[in-house]
Amino acid sequence: MISLAGRDILHAWGKFVFTGVGLGLLIGVTLVMAGVYRGMVDDGKALLDNSGADLWVVQQDTLGPYAESSSLKDDLYRTILAMPGVARAANVTYLTMQVRQGERDVRAMVVGAAAGAPAGTPGTPPYLVAGRQFTRGHYEAVADMATGFKLGDTIRIRRNQYTVVGLTRRMVSSSGDPMVFIPLKDAQEAQFLKDNDAIWQSRRRTEANPAINRPGASGVLDAVLASQSSNNFVNAILVRLEPGADPDEVARTIYRWKRLTVYTRAQMEDILVGKLIATSARQIGMFLVILAVVSAAIVAFIIYTLTMDKIREIAVLKLIGTRNRTIAAMIMQQALALGAIGFAVGKITATFAAPLFPKYVLLVPQDSIAGFFAVMAICALASVVAIRMALRVDPAEAIGG
Amino acid sequence: MKLQPTQRRTLGLVAVLVPLLALLIYVALRSGPLAPVAVTEAQVTSRAITPGLFGIGTVEARYTYKIGPTVAGRLKRLDVDVGDRVKVGQVLGEMDPVDLDDRMRSQEAAIKRIEAAIVEATARFTFAKTQAARYEQLLAVRSTSEEILLGKRQESQIAEAALAAAREDLARARSDLQALRAQRDNLNLVAPVAGIVTVRDADPGTTLVAGQAVVELIDPDSVWVNVRFDQISAAGLAAGLPAHIALRSSGGAALKGRVLRLEPMADAVTEEILAKVVFDQVPAPLPPIGELAEATVDLPALAEMPVIPNAAVQRQGDRPGVWRISDGGLEFVSVRLGRANLDGLVQVAEGLKAGERIVVYSEKALGSKSRIRVVESIPGAGK
Amino acid sequence: MATKGIRIEGLRKRYGSGDTAVDALKGVDMHVEPGEVVGLIGPSGSGKSTLLKSLGAVIDPTAGRMTLGDEVIYEQGWKVPDLRALRRDRIGFVFQAPYLIPFLDVTDNVALPPMLAGLPNTEARKRAQDLLTALDVRHRAQAMPSQLSGGEQQRVAIARGLVNRPPVILADEPTAPLDSQRAMAVIRILNDMARKYETAIIVVTHDEKIIPTFKRIYHIRDGVTHEEAGEGRGFE
Repeated sequence: MISLAGRDILHAWGKFVFTGVGLGLLIGVTLVMAGVYRGMVDDGKALLDNSGADLWVVQQDTLGPYAESSSLKDDLYRTILAMPGVARAANVTYLTMQVRQGERDVRAMVVGAAAGAPAGTPGTPPYLVAGRQFTRGHYEAVADMATGFKLGDTIRIRRNQYTVVGLTRRMVSSSGDPMVFIPLKDAQEAQFLKDNDAIWQSRRRTEANPAINRPGASGVLDAVLASQSSNNFVNAILVRLEPGADPDEVARTIYRWKRLTVYTRAQMEDILVGKLIATSARQIGMFLVILAVVSAAIVAFIIYTLTMDKIREIAVLKLIGTRNRTIAAMIMQQALALGAIGFAVGKITATFAAPLFPKYVLLVPQDSIAGFFAVMAICALASVVAIRMALRVDPAEAIGG
Repeated sequence: MKLQPTQRRTLGLVAVLVPLLALLIYVALRSGPLAPVAVTEAQVTSRAITPGLFGIGTVEARYTYKIGPTVAGRLKRLDVDVGDRVKVGQVLGEMDPVDLDDRMRSQEAAIKRIEAAIVEATARFTFAKTQAARYEQLLAVRSTSEEILLGKRQESQIAEAALAAAREDLARARSDLQALRAQRDNLNLVAPVAGIVTVRDADPGTTLVAGQAVVELIDPDSVWVNVRFDQISAAGLAAGLPAHIALRSSGGAALKGRVLRLEPMADAVTEEILAKVVFDQVPAPLPPIGELAEATVDLPALAEMPVIPNAAVQRQGDRPGVWRISDGGLEFVSVRLGRANLDGLVQVAEGLKAGERIVVYSEKALGSKSRIRVVESIPGAGK
Repeated sequence: MATKGIRIEGLRKRYGSGDTAVDALKGVDMHVEPGEVVGLIGPSGSGKSTLLKSLGAVIDPTAGRMTLGDEVIYEQGWKVPDLRALRRDRIGFVFQAPYLIPFLDVTDNVALPPMLAGLPNTEARKRAQDLLTALDVRHRAQAMPSQLSGGEQQRVAIARGLVNRPPVILADEPTAPLDSQRAMAVIRILNDMARKYETAIIVVTHDEKIIPTFKRIYHIRDGVTHEEAGEGRGFE
């Protein structure tokens, strides 16, 4: 027995392939949409991975440092370091802001990391794609490729200029903004410093306060001004545990004795994925459902139209004694072939289109495999309508009259 | 041979489907987790590095002279302004004496009055003494009584005491006058050293309390940079090391200097070590006090050792190490790191030998199972 | 009574029921012997189509009896269980329009019925090619139906009708789209084939050109047939 479906496809393969390509573009959009969601989740996970921390110590009763603001005194890490089970502890600051370079400015998350510290201290970029890590404690920056900065560029954060000495890849905040690492002390300053005008005004206000600027006690004013323009706060303390230490146990101890909120990796993931991007994820999920329904409708329509075009032939086939099963198989095979071409085209376009998106699009093989089976299932389902119609065709129609 | 239509169609379909399938396989293998990770490699080289230390600080003057009145008063005149150079002993300004001159004249009159009183007391004493001597002679010839003689002697002693009192009074009055004169002289504000006026805090007519500064002087030769070095990376810092000082206003042009001393007290809050770096030659237009300066201290060159770029250093668990490339495979090697220089080279004390190939940059985090693809530079990260 | 060819007796077909019921066939008797080509002529609305569909085992008659060779197809409401296989194996169809399957080439179009019957592809194709040779369209064996002329298409359609060697072939206006020369050629082929393969052929037509060729003609009017002798004029 010859393959009726194959022969039919061969007969009009141009039309068939073009239909498949059209369907493929739609599937590609669906895959990209799933990739956008995966990318959002991955952004959150990348943030956690790249921080290199096992525990996050933040201000009491906050969801910091990513989902809420949190501030801690910067000498607290020393007491954390003394807790049992803690191998490393490092201060870190996060500040999302516009970073200027020449004429343009880039939205970035400025991370203050311990500069010059031994490799692998939490908070420092774990690997680079170009340049080097910090060696100076001030005015050097390691930027993510996504910022568009190049090695040797001079960028401006608040009042200070920084030289880009290293580049990273996939170092992003949970909202996908690229990171710019600068030494912690500079970052603390950057977080506090407003602008020169604000500093002047603040100074003038303080000077005008007679309680502070008393004649004969000129030292008081200087002390107050100095204390106003220094910032001894950080956003979080990143903790790496000793091998074998139980994160929950250490977290409980720190919470109990230091009165600070501590998050483990699992809790942090829950905050980032569960809380920070929950609405966006649902939004994208909604889109995915709509796209899937639209795809299914289009496949059904295409198959239906293809079958409608062959209604005469089907009547003849039935008249000369073709089994219903054979006819159903023909339609089903065509639907599946269309789905397979569509999936291939979709997967290819999605892969090539993914890097063009401004935010990260992550195409997970599992999604592709699930997508393939979903496409096949949708095609099979969609062909059911056409099959039902084909089976209802009366062989008598072929005789006419 | 003419192709049959069916065969021709089959060929057409195959011509479309085969590239599609090939592309799909390429896409599946070249992206996602199955794709090899692009890395760049480098050889461990053995060389000597010159470590450096980097700190920032502000230009400060070693000595600052705050000049003001010792008593409360009103400023009468001030002859110097900010930026003026002054000499040792130069009178910079003067406080208003108010009633000091009148009080001195009154004191002088008082002294004269006391001097007149001394003359009078001297006369009284001379007369009483003479009288007492005469009555002694009279008693010797028994022409007077013993009682009268005793009275004369007492008169003479009283007159002597009165004279002594008057003399002391004079000394007091003169000292008072001296004190007033000293005060009058102290109203001049005098430069204790040669230097530059940096601050002028008050103008004539201002009433000042004792000890309040009117002008501040610095000695330009004593300008230094108060540099803060992060404690983490301050190993090897010592007095006498050569340093380069870049002033913020000079756009990175470095001035030569040296570390004068390390402060015995570090800053516990900012976790920094403080050091004073002096200029070999103080720049001609004096840098503004308080200007930001970066100081790079050159440490002595170290002996040759295997060195690697610091970007190659990664961690596994808590151990620093590098990914060594061997026969196309990856192996994580724990290393003990030595000193580093400011260009990002770091010594390997243990774990690697010169000539071994290691991963410097990678597209994503590596694992021992990662397939790698060695490239010239990571795509998208070109210079 | 042993019979050959196709025979129907008292065949009735009623559409609908109650007041709106229409009797399309009111007791039709008809028989065609193997090797015989008979004409079936009637105006529109005479029940001609209904009769054809009944003969083709596509619709079930309400009453009456139909036999094909020794086999009873219908008898008073009873019918053969697998009409589809019956159509496939024992009845050949030739239509007014050829209705070839456009996505199969000529050989496969002809070879399809034996393939459907379970014959291996090569054997089915061999049989098809033999028939195409007999019908003088062997040279177009690899062509697609759209590339054929009307006469060629009709010959291919006849080949398809014959390929399973059915005892009976139903031809519905097989010459309608053809000019008289070609129409006569088709009729000649049908006659040749009827003789060659011992097939009973019923040609439904109102084509004046070919009516004289039949030896026997059934007229159908208002659901009843009348048999009459035709001219049986030769067409050589």
